[in-house]
Amino acid sequence: MTAGTRTTTRPVEGGLDAWPALALERAVRANEPAWALEQRRKAAEVVARLPFPDRRLELWRRTDFGTLALGELDPFAPGLKARNVDDLPAAVIARLAGEASNLGLLVQRNSDVVLEQTPPALAQQGVIVCSLERALREHPEKLEHRLGALIETDLDRYAALHQAMRAGGAFVWVPDGVQAALPIRLIQWLDPDQPSAGAPAGARTGVATAPATVIALGRGASATVLEECLSETADGPAFFSGGTEVFVGEDAKLVYGHLQDWGRNVVHYSNQRARIERGGELQWIQTFLGGRTTKTNSYFQLVGAGARAYVHGFMFGDQRQHFDLHTLQKHLAEQTTSDLFIKSALKDRARSVYQGMIQVAHGAQRTDAYQANRNLLLSDTARADSIPGLEILANDVRCTHGATVGTVDAEQMYYLMTRGLPRNDAQRLVVEGFFAPVLDRIPLESVREQLRGMIQAKIG
Amino acid sequence: MTASENPTGGIRDSYTEKYGFHDADQFVFKARKGLDPEIVRGISQMKGEPAWMLEFRLKALETYRKKPLPRWGGDLSQIDFDDIYYYVKPTEQEAKSWEDVPADMKRTFDRLGIPEAEQKFLSGVGAQYDSEVVYHKIKENLEKLGVLFLSTDHALRDHEELFRRYFATVIPPTDNKFAALNSAVWSGGSFIYVPKGVRVDVPLQAYFRINTKDMGQFERTLIIVDEGAYVHYVEGCTAPTYSSDSLHSAVVEIIVKAGGRCRYTTIQNWSNNVYNLVTKRAAAYRDATMEWVDGNLGSKLTIKYPAIYLMEPGAHGEVLSIAFAGKGQHQDAGAKAVHVAPNTTSKIVSKSISKDGGRAGYRGLIKVARGAVGCRSTVNCDALILDDISRSDTYPTMEIEEDQVSIGHEATVSKIGDEQLFYLTSRGVPKDEAAAMIVAGFIEPVVKELPMEYAVEMNRLIQLQMEGSVG
Repeated sequence: MTAGTRTTTRPVEGGLDAWPALALERAVRANEPAWALEQRRKAAEVVARLPFPDRRLELWRRTDFGTLALGELDPFAPGLKARNVDDLPAAVIARLAGEASNLGLLVQRNSDVVLEQTPPALAQQGVIVCSLERALREHPEKLEHRLGALIETDLDRYAALHQAMRAGGAFVWVPDGVQAALPIRLIQWLDPDQPSAGAPAGARTGVATAPATVIALGRGASATVLEECLSETADGPAFFSGGTEVFVGEDAKLVYGHLQDWGRNVVHYSNQRARIERGGELQWIQTFLGGRTTKTNSYFQLVGAGARAYVHGFMFGDQRQHFDLHTLQKHLAEQTTSDLFIKSALKDRARSVYQGMIQVAHGAQRTDAYQANRNLLLSDTARADSIPGLEILANDVRCTHGATVGTVDAEQMYYLMTRGLPRNDAQRLVVEGFFAPVLDRIPLESVREQLRGMIQAKIG
Repeated sequence: MTASENPTGGIRDSYTEKYGFHDADQFVFKARKGLDPEIVRGISQMKGEPAWMLEFRLKALETYRKKPLPRWGGDLSQIDFDDIYYYVKPTEQEAKSWEDVPADMKRTFDRLGIPEAEQKFLSGVGAQYDSEVVYHKIKENLEKLGVLFLSTDHALRDHEELFRRYFATVIPPTDNKFAALNSAVWSGGSFIYVPKGVRVDVPLQAYFRINTKDMGQFERTLIIVDEGAYVHYVEGCTAPTYSSDSLHSAVVEIIVKAGGRCRYTTIQNWSNNVYNLVTKRAAAYRDATMEWVDGNLGSKLTIKYPAIYLMEPGAHGEVLSIAFAGKGQHQDAGAKAVHVAPNTTSKIVSKSISKDGGRAGYRGLIKVARGAVGCRSTVNCDALILDDISRSDTYPTMEIEEDQVSIGHEATVSKIGDEQLFYLTSRGVPKDEAAAMIVAGFIEPVVKELPMEYAVEMNRLIQLQMEGSVG
């Protein structure tokens, strides 16, 4: 099935309509438990029932996937198995910066998990880092009430399609009271497509993939988990559909980063959910640098008293990149805290949409919620839409949000230029400074430095 | 109950006795319930309108039929559009003096204090009762300067050319379903024209009253402020408290020409059975200023976002919005500023209070079009929730297509601060008064922009509830 580091891809006969049944067949062959198969069936029904979302839906008013012809992609493109890190694509090896032996690591290529690595330091603690496929076989009881529990199947057709087509994905489990000894990295890689034998010249069949990730921390546990999306820009289109469900147990603490650095041919759709129990704390970092069009819905549910979510993110777009992030801070219990800060800088004809909502449920007294969105426009053809929102049903609360859109501050530029910096360097410094507060929160130094480098390159 | 638990307990509690009364039904003509081309033709014929207006109305009716109800803003599903009187004509003609207003109506407006206000504070007064303006008067000196202040119907009759040049140019019938509805069945409203350089220093006021049960009021207001001119227009509205719902769907269009300034103040105090679905929009040209002061205290559901289109460089727009939602009320208030031209500025301040299960909110839009460089806009929204069964929403939207701009939005939602209460009570201020002071302080930035008599009224309402809530 595999040829070198490239992948032979072919569209599915019968197009998109045929996808869910084929995915189900594969899942049956892989011995997925009955409940997981049932979940796929139900999702397939929703796929059949719903049309693709259009501008009439509030969450799709400002974003569409343009010319993406999903049915012409290959949703079952295999990935070349890796015996060890050296078998991985060069860009992944570079990204790991020689630190692979000190990580819990899982790498997915296209639709397959190709490497799972749990060093003894983690294994001895009872920490599990494995493919979702393996977890469904070996730990079904840990997944049954978690997989698909937080992401609404009928949110839109893409969400349903994701659940029906689930392929690959990761499971991270940190038992009660365990402080995971090493950071855990989950890497998604998409290979460039390779025209299949006999295909007409110029025909491209890109990869479509739908991994699901479940991360669960037991009571009092702690861990650092990074999910990274990487690929090199290829000619044909590619579609990534992500679904991440995060469970932060009582008094647990999770640092989670989601770093999207796709090649420019990738259309990215993902749903990310986190549920935080009493006294739990989530540090969430979200960055968008790559891809053609990105649409992500990140929702945070604070379900127990004292639960806390700190969310920091940035988007940096150039050319015609389009980023759309929707966040929801749901305060469902008393004395919960959420603090969200999303920054967006845009060059050229790039466009960002940030839509955020703070919801405070009836009875969720003494909620403290904050939401800020800053947009820096670096060209007169860039566009930023900001739609923050508050829906508050309790009175003893402190909820604040703020949003700004502007250009590079003239005073800052003046200050720097009077000290002899040329205009370009001054602007570079200001933009770097804009991202610094989010960048500083990225947990691994090597990753942080790589991202810093990518930002610098992008500033140009 | 202590004051701090119920610091605005009395706001509008006395509505029924003060405003909620109704006269015996009186009208010289009442169209049957429901809406079809025949009703529209009837309205136009009765008004003796030119053919183009009938055509305009019929076309708007078609648009109204085709447009879907908005899916946001509030629950409109309870409105039975077939169970509404779309046109109720209360008198044969508009009176020029109070003496000529029919006795019942005169009593109504007397009770609402209109003639008194006219003498004391105003340059001119209009009074609309159901579908028609029953009284209109402007001070002679203004008339001599060429200021026009008359019912929109009369403006069409007496100043057709001027009317036609501006009518429906700011809000076309296709703008939204309720603008289309108004365009089809509009009746009454104020028409104001202020000639170049004329400053109307004392406000003009219109008063809107719904009397008939199951009535729809669709007034249409058109204000043209010519170059360098100024006017302040104030509108107030009340209605009897009926068990069934009424509909108020106005369209207000304003044109402020170069260097002109217009201030439009609304004190919306409809009874709790009125659906208030209003489209208000102003176009401000070079160096012009448009200010909306929008107070929403009444109605069952208000969906209203006064808008300013900043059409030429130097234009400035301000919206001050205050929304109060009590039991059974939903105030979906807000504002829009659309920066079409470079170097335009806007400022929006919104204050909302919700209590007794009410829902108050801010929905807004700041849009900067491509090419509109050098724009500045700030939005500040504060919400106060006075109990644990009420709700506050903030939905601002910013669409920015230009980089050389500075746009900011801030919103907070909170309860009355314990620290503020403690500070005041520790200085010997009784708790109820302290709470009243805090609420008054909260809305002060808006109240101070109200004409004196409304500011007094607003503060009095706050005081009143304090007395009522002691113990």
